[in-house]
Parts: sequence; structure tokens; C-alpha cells
Amino acid sequence: MSKAVNVYGSINGCSTMTGPVAEPRSYTGNPQKNSPALGATIAYMGVDGLLALLHGSQGCSTFIRLQLSRHFKEPIPLNSTALLEDTAIFGGWEHLKKGIAKAADKFQPRIIGVMSSGLTETFGDDMVSALASLRQERPDLIEKPVVLAKTPDYIGSLQEGYQRTVLALLDTLTVDPAPRESNTVALFPGAHFTPADVEELKDTVSLFGLTPLVLPDISTSLDGHFELEPAPVVQGGITLEDIRRIPGCIASFSFGPSMAVVGESLQKRHGVPHIAVPSLTGLEAVDTFYLKLCQLSGRPIPERLLRQRSRLLDTLADYHDQLGQKRIAIALESDLLISLANCLVEVGAVIQVALAATALHENVLPNFTFPSQYAVDVGDLEHLEERAPGSHLIIANSNARQAALPLKIPHLRAGLPVFDRAGMSQKVWIGYRGTQQFLYDCLNAMAG
Amino acid sequence: MFVNLTKLDLKETCPLTDKGAPKLCMKALPGEGAERSCAFDGARVVLMPVTDAAHVVHGPIACAGNSWDNRGAKSSGPQLYRRGLTTDLMEMDVVYGGEKKLIQAIIDVARKHQPKAVFVYATCVSALIGDDLETACKEAQKDVSVPVIPVNAPGFMGDKNIGNRVAGEVLFRQIIGTAEPETVHPFAINFIGEYNIAGDLWGIQPSLEAIGIKLQACISGDARFDDIRTAHRAKLNVLVCSKSLTNLVKQMEQKYGIPYIEGSFYGIHDTSATLRAIANAFGDADLIERTEAHIFQKEAETRAVIEPLKARLSGKRAVLFTGGVKTWSMVTTLRELGIDVLAGGTQNSTPDDFLRMKALMDPTAHIIEDTSAAGFLTLIKEKSPDLIVAGGKTKYLAHKTRTPFLDINHGRSLPYAGYAGMITFANAVARTVFSPVWEKMRVAFPPEVTVNE
Repeated sequence: MSKAVNVYGSINGCSTMTGPVAEPRSYTGNPQKNSPALGATIAYMGVDGLLALLHGSQGCSTFIRLQLSRHFKEPIPLNSTALLEDTAIFGGWEHLKKGIAKAADKFQPRIIGVMSSGLTETFGDDMVSALASLRQERPDLIEKPVVLAKTPDYIGSLQEGYQRTVLALLDTLTVDPAPRESNTVALFPGAHFTPADVEELKDTVSLFGLTPLVLPDISTSLDGHFELEPAPVVQGGITLEDIRRIPGCIASFSFGPSMAVVGESLQKRHGVPHIAVPSLTGLEAVDTFYLKLCQLSGRPIPERLLRQRSRLLDTLADYHDQLGQKRIAIALESDLLISLANCLVEVGAVIQVALAATALHENVLPNFTFPSQYAVDVGDLEHLEERAPGSHLIIANSNARQAALPLKIPHLRAGLPVFDRAGMSQKVWIGYRGTQQFLYDCLNAMAG
Repeated sequence: MFVNLTKLDLKETCPLTDKGAPKLCMKALPGEGAERSCAFDGARVVLMPVTDAAHVVHGPIACAGNSWDNRGAKSSGPQLYRRGLTTDLMEMDVVYGGEKKLIQAIIDVARKHQPKAVFVYATCVSALIGDDLETACKEAQKDVSVPVIPVNAPGFMGDKNIGNRVAGEVLFRQIIGTAEPETVHPFAINFIGEYNIAGDLWGIQPSLEAIGIKLQACISGDARFDDIRTAHRAKLNVLVCSKSLTNLVKQMEQKYGIPYIEGSFYGIHDTSATLRAIANAFGDADLIERTEAHIFQKEAETRAVIEPLKARLSGKRAVLFTGGVKTWSMVTTLRELGIDVLAGGTQNSTPDDFLRMKALMDPTAHIIEDTSAAGFLTLIKEKSPDLIVAGGKTKYLAHKTRTPFLDINHGRSLPYAGYAGMITFANAVARTVFSPVWEKMRVAFPPEVTVNE
């Protein structure tokens, strides 16, 4: 549960305030947060044959479809329980039952993924009892996998909704143990991974002779592939069969501080060792991950990756002067923020201001090391506007254009939504090659 | 605390049992996949283009965070309306109530952004936890010098259309008639329901200027708050986005004696017809003559420019799926390019719009009934049209069917209204229909190997 800190509540131990403190205010101006249910939708989009059902009013799902469509340039199949005024009095419990039944009958999905909204969590609709009651009335639905993710709009942002949903997917669909597979690893990418990032991650892990099972896998569903049969369910992504293999993995990796709880849950329930990887951008971060893969696979680092590493080192030498001492203003969801900011600090840049969408400390494991070279505050894009002056580069989503344009500061698009730059879902910012690309993108943005 | 829905005469307008008729009063069924929106969205669509006002959403992040600055309503001046301002309700607010936070938020927004007015929107959550929007606005008003206006259309109230109507009530009861213009032009009109999407309004204004019509207030495209306050001094209301604001023009007719006409500025025919109707409504002989001369000249000019495109587009067949005035106006507009509508459908239109579309279409044309994504895909497969004309949310789905697509709703970047807009529209249609990319997608790869060789 996150606390209602939305005005400069420092979220880590570092108390140095790097910018002028603005007047506290009681509103959020130009939010960088998206709703948790939107994060839930992204997670569900990485599961093959799943029908996503938002328990809320029709606007809730329409806003999410529009936002994700303009970011991914893809249709987003998201259904709704279409709550109306009578539910304000009677609650939405019956509607949820009807919605699940209708969706199951009309669209025949392999899995139904439900997420709640501010409306239904305020009613206090008990989704678990609704599902149990439906299954009593409809025994034919007992075998139909239904995942229930609690994502009230008033707790957290995209990242928290995504995290809760991946956890719900894992916990619901991997109840039974699975046969041990000696070369298979489970990967839990964070909400900030693009479809191409996920693909890069899978490829890299495969280079070590390991078989990756990725939950969720948006690299084959939101990647903009062309083949599509008329269907309102997710096409591409990890299959139900592969999800059920996850308890048999030799290890799991989570990517991004907020995803560690997912790996921990698997470890706790099925004894699969979990390795938390806070970031995959930046030389040291990638080195650490590849060394782990060496250990696990018993193989040396593949030649191809070493070649990529040497190219990255060359880039660092060539551009260290143009990156060094550059002042960066960055506003993103915390997993991505920490990943990119750490990488920039590593090459000698200075983080002038770092604004996370939500408080991080409640989402991470107790042993997580917070960045020490810069302070991370919680803030919106109006805070960014107030604190970015004097910086050389703004890194934030497309909505930060309202800050960057008047300030005449170059603006590198990152996070979500990015609707005014082409090719976001094919962008790779992880691994050696991705780190190199990220630095190029920063340099090119600053070059104007 | 809510606008009394029974007084909005919703019932009388939905007697249709036709297949595919918009279901204004019928409840959407859970899980069926109808992709409509909510009342909050509908209210905001109408009011948000008031460019010099602050728009504060009293709700959790889902209501403002996912959707701010996402519409193409353009401004020639202030940009304040594009800001996403919200109380961003958190768990503790839900437990203890959000009124105090809201009052302070209104005061803070007014101080920081110096708006001409503050619109405050209720949402599902704020309504459910019992926050009294009116009282909070009154309380904040004590510290704020500009009008603070509550908009009470929480999402669960119904779909988008109902929100449009609530916004109409807000305009009528709280804004229109609260200030007097310095001078009153003899031919002053209001546009009602023109949102200046992609600059549509600016494609119409040259014609108004040419014939000597003064736009008193545009509700609400590129609007300034003070202009809307003086809208009651216009001599004529022109209802542009068809029926969603009918309640507003009817009430203005009753209270201020302003007659209204309906019109559309999409396509040559509808643009001319609307200009002509405006002139005729005033009945001034000189105005009528000027208008006819203008129409004669612009029609000839426009036709000459689009003629080569029409020659190439003639005989193409389109599927049309939209809402509001475009429901029927697009049928005519496409026909002006020689394109027939072989299937049409709507979700957010009124029954009248729907009937008008049906009347304009070929009797053999198909009426889209299943408006879900699945229904849409099946239809495209069956009909294989040369062109899909619909809104942005259908765009990427349409692209998967390898069919040329034109976005005519709020997300588009090109203005299609007026004579100039028709030329832009014709070019846009031709660009997608004749794009070289579609052909590439129909070629199998790798080529099939012939077994005999």
C-alpha cells in the first residue's frame, strides 16, 4: 500500500534536494502516472489466448485502449463489465459474474484476466467470492482459468498494476508443481521493457544455452506483427502450458526493483531460486547479469556479447566528454528511472532532478540498494517543469512536451505514453547493445 | 446532486428498434465487448476545448492520468486547457473523503495558472465516497476570483452521450448569459458542438467572414470562457455536432428566443447547405445574395481541385463507423468523391443521426450491429471494402485487415471541415486508398515453389 505522498516526498535515504523546492500543492499537474489497470492490461497482453476484462465503467477501459493504442500502435483487446448507475447502489458483484460468463461464452478465451478499478474497489466487490459463486452456478467454468488482479486506481501507477497482475498470473496459474527442466529459466520483465527489449532478453539468455520462459511475454503480442485473425483475445505471448512449466525452472530472474516480489513468490512456493536484476541498462548492470548467466549455465560469456561489450566501451571512450557533466532531468516510473539514471551516472552525467511516478520504497524488497548519487523524489510533470530549467536533457514520456517545449530543452521520449515518436516498441535499451543505443539516443537528442 | 436524467428527455429520443440503432437507453452488457465510453468522458469532451479555463478532475489517476491532452481540439491562443489537473485521489482520500483536498486543489490551481474559470469534474470514485462537488466548489469560490463550475457527470451515470448533455446543462445554467458583449453584430451566430478538432473551425471561418457572419461563440472549439458567457446575444444557434447538445439549443431558444438550425460542415454539399441555411434563417436579402455568390464560387473551385481525385476514387466502396454528425454527413461527403458506403454503423450517435444515415445510404447497404472489435473484423472480412472510415480506436485493428483507413474522429491531425477541409479530406482518402503499401501485403512470401519444376 503506498502512502499518499505526491508532493516531494523523498522516497529514498538520500535527503539532498537537488532543485528549488516549490510551494506544496494539493493537486497533481500534468500527471506522469497512468492507472494501475493500464499496467494490468500490459501484463495481460503478454499471455496468449487471454481475454482481459476490466471490472469498471466503460470509460475506464476506453481510456486504457486509447492510451495503449497510441503508444504501441496496436489494437488493444480489453473488455469491460460496463458498470452503470444501478451498480453505484447495488455494487458490481453480479455484473462481474455476468461479465466473466458472457466473455467466456462469446469469445472462448483460454484464460480470462480480470482487473478491478477504483469504482469496484470502492464498492468493495469481492472478486474471489463472485468467481466462486459463478462456478457454482456454472460448473462448466470450473476448469476455465480466471486470474483476478486487484488494481484500484488510487494505489500506485502503471508499474504497480503491472506488478500485481504478473503476481496474480503467476500465483493463480502455477499452483501445481512442474517437472524439473535443467536448462529452463523463468524471466519476469518489468513494465518498462519494450516488446523488443523482451525479445533481446530472450535471445541473450538463449545464447547461454538456456531456455527462457517469459511472463509476461509481450515480444510476440505487442510487437506489431502483421498476421491477425479476427479475435478479441491476445494473440501471441506466453502460452498457458508454458506458464505451467515455470515451477520446474532451475532459476528465475526478475527485472526492475518492483518485480522482485514476483520472483520471491515463486521461490517461496516452489523453491525456484530467484535472482533480482534491478537494471539491465549500463555496463556494470549488464556485466552482473551475464556473469550470473555464466554461473547458471556453466558456459563462458558468448563471443558475440563480448564483441558488443567492446563496442560499448569504445562508445564510452568516444563520447565520454559529451556525456560528462551533462545535467539530466528525468521523470519516469521508478524501475525505468533507476535503470536509466544509474546508466547516465555511470558515464559521468549528473542527475539534476529525478522524479518517480510513485513512491518506490513500498514496492521493493528490504535488501534493495537505493541509488546514492542522486535523490529520487515523487513528482508529476509540473514539478519537472519547475525543476528542469538549467538541464541539458529531459527524459520523460511524450506528455513532458508541455514542459520541454517552452523551456527549449531537448526531450528524449521514454516510458509511456510515447505517441509522437515512431518505433518505440522496437527500441532496445537493455544489454550492451541497448545501453549503447540509449547513450546514442541521449547524444542525438542533445545534438538537436 | 446529479442532473435529473428524467428531465433531460432521454426517453423520448430512443424508440428505435432498428437493427444497429444506437443504444442510448439500453445498458451495455458486461463482457460483450462494446467499446463505448462514459459520461465523464462525454462531459469533458464538450467543455475541455474552453482554452483559457482550468479543468480539474476530482478522481483517482485513471480518470485524468490515462487521458489528458489526448484530443485534437486546437487552440489559437491559450494552452491551459491541455494541462492534466487532478486531485489524484489516493487510498486515504477514499477512506476519509476528498472534499478538503478538492477545495485546496481548486485554490492552488487558480493561483498557479490564473485561469478564466475552473471546471471541476466529478468521477465515479468521488461520487461514491460521497464528496459533495457543489459544496466544495462553493467553498473554494470564496477564495477564487474566477467562476468555479461543478460538472457532475460521474462515469457510471451512462455513456458518452449522457455526459454531453450534462455539459450542455452546465453551459446553459452556469455560464451562458453571465456577461454582456460590448457590441452585438446583426448577424451573430453560435456554433454548438464544434470542437475545432485538428483545426476544423478554422476551415469554416473564412466562409463566415466572406459572407459577413460573426461568430459570437463557438461551443466549445478554440473557445474563450468570456465569449461563451455572451452566447445568449447571438441571433442564431447552429448545431454542428448534431444532437448531443440539443438540450442546450432548445433551452436557449426558450429562454433567449434564439432559433436554431442543424448543420454540418463536412463535404461540399453539407457545407453549402449549412451556409445557405444560416443566411436564410436571417432572411436578409443582401446576406443571401452574398452567400449564394460565395457558395457558387467555392463549390466550383473545390470541385475543380478534387475532380482528378474523384475520377480515380469513383466506384470505391467504404465501411463507415463513427458518431455524431459524421454518422450521416460522411455518407454524403464520401459520395461526393464517388465512394459508396456499403456498411455503416454508429455507437455514440442519437437515433435521429442514425436514421438520417440510414436514409442516405443505399437500401442494400449493411447496418453494423455488432460494434465490438470481433464484430468489426468479421464484417471487414465479409465485405472487403476499399476503405474504412472510422475513429482512432479502430485504426490499428483496421490496419491488421490490410485495408486503407481514414481516421475522422478526435485523434486525427488534419482538418476536414469547410471547403478547404474537403480538399484536405479528398487528398487524405486518396493517399490511403492508393498507397503503394497495401499491394505489398497481399504478396505471399516466400513465393510458393511449383512442385513440377
